[in-house]
Amino acid sequence: MTMLQHAILVLILPLLSATVIAIFLRRAGGIAAAVSVTAATAIAAIALILLLHGERFENSMEWLKLGNFTLSLGIKFDDLAALMLTIVGVVGLCVHVFSLGYMHDDASKARYFGGLSVFMFSMLGIVFADNLFMMFIFWELVGFSSYLLINHYHEKQSAADAAKKAFIVNRVGDFGFLLGIVMCYWLNGTVNLTELAGHHVFSNWVPLLLFCGAVGKSAQLPLQVWLPDAMEGPTPVSALIHAATMVAAGIYMLCRINVLMVPQALTVIMWTGTATALYAALCAITQRDIKKVLAYSTLSQLGYMVAAFGVGPTLEGIPIGDARGLPNSILVGGVGAAMFHLTTHAFFKALLFLGSGSVIYGCHHEQDIFKMGGLKSRMPITFATFTIGVAAIIGLPFLAGFFSKDAILYLAFANNKAVFAVLAFTAVLTALYMVRLWKIVFLGAPRSEEASHAHEGGLSMTVPLVLLALLSVVGGYGFVFKKLAGNVAILVPEAEGSAHSVILATSLVVMILGAGTALLLYRPTESDALEVKSPGLFGALLALKESFDAIYDYYVAKIQQRFAILLNFLEQVALAGLVIRGVSGLVGLIGIGARALHVGSLHAYVYWFLIGAVLLWAYAAGVF
Amino acid sequence: MPRVFSDFVMNFHFDPLLLAIATPLAVAVAILLGLPKRHSIKLAYVGFGVPAIIALWAWMNFPADAGAKYAFFTRYSTGLDSFGITLALGLNGVALPLFVLAGLVGLAAGLYAIQSNAERLKIYLMLLLFMQGGLMGVFASVDVFFFYFFHELALIPTFIMVGIWGGRDRNYAAMKMTIYLTAGAMLSLIGLIAIYVKSGHSGQTFDLIMLREALAAEPIGATTQKHIFGLLMFGFGILVSLWPFHTWAPLGYGAAPSSAAMLHAGVLKKFGLYGLIQVALPLLPEGAKDWARLLAYLALGNVLVVGLIAIAQRDLKQMLGYSSVMHMGYAFLGIACFSVLGVGGVVLLMVAHGLSVALLFLLATSIHQRTHTLDMTQMGGLAQKTPVLAAFFVAATLAGIGLPGFANFWGELTIFVALWHFSPWMTVAAVAGVVISAIYGLRSVAAVFFGPPTEALDKVTAAHPPADLSWREKIPALILLAALLFVGFWPKSLSTPLNSTLAASFRMLDAPRLTAGR
Repeated sequence: MTMLQHAILVLILPLLSATVIAIFLRRAGGIAAAVSVTAATAIAAIALILLLHGERFENSMEWLKLGNFTLSLGIKFDDLAALMLTIVGVVGLCVHVFSLGYMHDDASKARYFGGLSVFMFSMLGIVFADNLFMMFIFWELVGFSSYLLINHYHEKQSAADAAKKAFIVNRVGDFGFLLGIVMCYWLNGTVNLTELAGHHVFSNWVPLLLFCGAVGKSAQLPLQVWLPDAMEGPTPVSALIHAATMVAAGIYMLCRINVLMVPQALTVIMWTGTATALYAALCAITQRDIKKVLAYSTLSQLGYMVAAFGVGPTLEGIPIGDARGLPNSILVGGVGAAMFHLTTHAFFKALLFLGSGSVIYGCHHEQDIFKMGGLKSRMPITFATFTIGVAAIIGLPFLAGFFSKDAILYLAFANNKAVFAVLAFTAVLTALYMVRLWKIVFLGAPRSEEASHAHEGGLSMTVPLVLLALLSVVGGYGFVFKKLAGNVAILVPEAEGSAHSVILATSLVVMILGAGTALLLYRPTESDALEVKSPGLFGALLALKESFDAIYDYYVAKIQQRFAILLNFLEQVALAGLVIRGVSGLVGLIGIGARALHVGSLHAYVYWFLIGAVLLWAYAAGVF
Repeated sequence: MPRVFSDFVMNFHFDPLLLAIATPLAVAVAILLGLPKRHSIKLAYVGFGVPAIIALWAWMNFPADAGAKYAFFTRYSTGLDSFGITLALGLNGVALPLFVLAGLVGLAAGLYAIQSNAERLKIYLMLLLFMQGGLMGVFASVDVFFFYFFHELALIPTFIMVGIWGGRDRNYAAMKMTIYLTAGAMLSLIGLIAIYVKSGHSGQTFDLIMLREALAAEPIGATTQKHIFGLLMFGFGILVSLWPFHTWAPLGYGAAPSSAAMLHAGVLKKFGLYGLIQVALPLLPEGAKDWARLLAYLALGNVLVVGLIAIAQRDLKQMLGYSSVMHMGYAFLGIACFSVLGVGGVVLLMVAHGLSVALLFLLATSIHQRTHTLDMTQMGGLAQKTPVLAAFFVAATLAGIGLPGFANFWGELTIFVALWHFSPWMTVAAVAGVVISAIYGLRSVAAVFFGPPTEALDKVTAAHPPADLSWREKIPALILLAALLFVGFWPKSLSTPLNSTLAASFRMLDAPRLTAGR
């Protein structure tokens, strides 16, 4: 089998799995789970084969043609796609296996695992997409699978609302994304990524409109509102979709279209990412729900990646897997750092989310961190792996997050000191809220019945944790990332000389500052130490978090709905009432006829019409 | 009379298209003549099944390179040949998708009607069969006279069905529908007759093939074209619920019995768009260009104004009615583009919209039977009791809001791409519609199926525990859903014949313009 056939197989397998589950296994949750996990295993295995085999290729097939417009579906498999494929495959497998334990007793297991397979299919479509239309197709489909899985506990109003919100907010981003694609098509005559790299017209609008898609999918300001709510979905889903892969698709897409970037667009992207990183980190500090802390942390880290992409300089092309003899290279320096952090983040954030899943499972679906405590001794594997995850995200030296965060800080330091300052401060906050979470959940004594009976889940839950913990340790080392990312790894900036010392010192200081504050400030008790000691600051942070939700709710309830009702009223009164009555008054005949028209006379009208037509025909045909 | 009859017999040979039209009509006539109920129902399966099978057969056997030519072409003498009226049947790449649509939606509507236990089921089926015969005829006719005749044949039963089997407000709805649709039909009839009158000095004709040839050689004057196109645009526009002539639609569909709503909203309504594409655009290209901008503005009214109105609806069927009107806006926008891409997108959207809206009306009726209300604020949590119904409704809604994987996506996408070439800012406004439709679509799904059930629904379900979708409801739904997914995954199946025909017909349009320019 050629490598192209391998790639096609990877794409088709999860679709096949979803189809089989939807049609035949609706009532057979156990078999459905087995089918879905088998598919995920095969995907991970083939992904590794494709990565290690080293062949990079590109191929496409015409899917729709009307006039001069052709839409193709194709596979562009370069180093960037290989890296993303590996992440999706490996994290996907871990989450699938973890779900076997976590969702073991769920009544709608078949729907859940079917949904996971739909997600894998859609996500892999984004990874492989060789043109923007194809990317958009799968972009919408991941949105759908996200909707499906957030809505898993659909009998809960909050879950139903969260799913709806996620889809609609994403559609707002996609509105810009689609316009960007259409505009790109008319400007350049193609949306094929490789052809665009070869030649394209520079425009400010195209990259900015395309970026709207990333703002929605990667939950950047001001469209971040859906992601915290999306935590209503089962925790493994949060790990896979809302932490490691789908929300990172926005960054992947930016890297895909990096050749279209212009400096003005990069500036907007940089500041959007920076603002999101800071805003979300501030929000995370006040959260009580273990998943919400992680959700805001994800937002913040996604902001980091977006900022990294935007802050990077434009440079000479770096080839990433040549195909068809066309230029296929990267022109934006931020791609390296952004993809590097995307990779390590995928590992440690999936680990943290699955760890939180393990905690939630162990505590019988308690999610309030102040009702946990003392889990260190009761859930040792979860504790150990979670600790590695926390260490990785706060940038403890020699763990994955340390390297990737340093790369971003260095890039910012070299290109924009203001962004550097904000990101460094965000790193303080990251260490603060993560250590807070860690200390309150795992240390001290159990503060609830559930926590005191907490227990470790089965092997299906602990093995993925250990695997991801391992990746969170080694994923940051150059030799590992080089293997995963090929030439993309060349772009990861490495600090030298004095800059190196500055960055190293900064990252150590911010980590110690944040973690130290958290260790000193927070006690594993039932109340939030910050709330007790500084209610003003706590209240301000809480208000900051709620301001966006308030604006969103105000817009939906007060502006959009009222406007719709007003239009509806005008429709009923103006059009249906006045205008039509007016017209029927003018055309008196019709008006009178209409009022006389009841069911009985309607028949009469109809029959007269028919008889008339027949007579006319008969006459014209010379029958009599 | 005998002469006409003998001509017919002499010319007769096996003609699948004629069979697709005649079978439902013959069954309808048999029921009209007093066939007992038991046999009526059995024959009704044949009446709905045969057109569907022939439609699928035609789809599979359609030549990929048809170009401007009609496949399966036959011409029958009607006795009015000297007036240029013959019964010419055939399918080109534009007609084929709609012929298939009519066959499939007709079958689904028929099956759903048979299991519905409607009062006076026999008469109900008879009217539906008349409608079905008319619909197959509309899209198989190459002759404008019969194209119009079959439309009337299908339209009249609609009024009767709304008036007799309709729900709330049925009399008012039937009256309003009749006034609007008759007005629309009259306006377009005047337009069509005007084309006939202007169709050439060598001999007037209703035959589309001859009309095209005649008018390509000797186009109608620009001013006259403008007048005639205006008549057709507003006449057909009213039939397709062009804003602001749309108010009959939500009302009518809200009141119509499900199978009638399925056939009208799904198929018959497409007559107007089909007429614009198959008759008005190729015969009156200059007129079309004159009116394009106004048409597009009104269409934006459909997308934005009606879209927002759909958000405000509480009644499920009203909401579906408004959403259906909204999507017609995209179709008009595609026509305004006047390009192979835009018009091709319209045909794809017509098919997709027809399938999805028919599915939604079918499911809405199934919901109504279980909740005993259409007020969405009185529902909630139905998915816990009827998961299969919920899954179908979610799928149909997602199809309706243009999710990839369903046919609708291709229609919307191609129209958006084509529209940018016509007017970028209009594209911005039109694409905003995808957000609007997501809002009302997902809201209705959530209100009906998710969250905890309302007290009102709890009471109803305690008295009548709702069963999930039965097989008799599921089969028609599956037919529609399968078609949506098939075209969604394999758009080439329709776009290849479509492209071949449209490319040829737009080439023909370009030719005289070039000579005029010299």
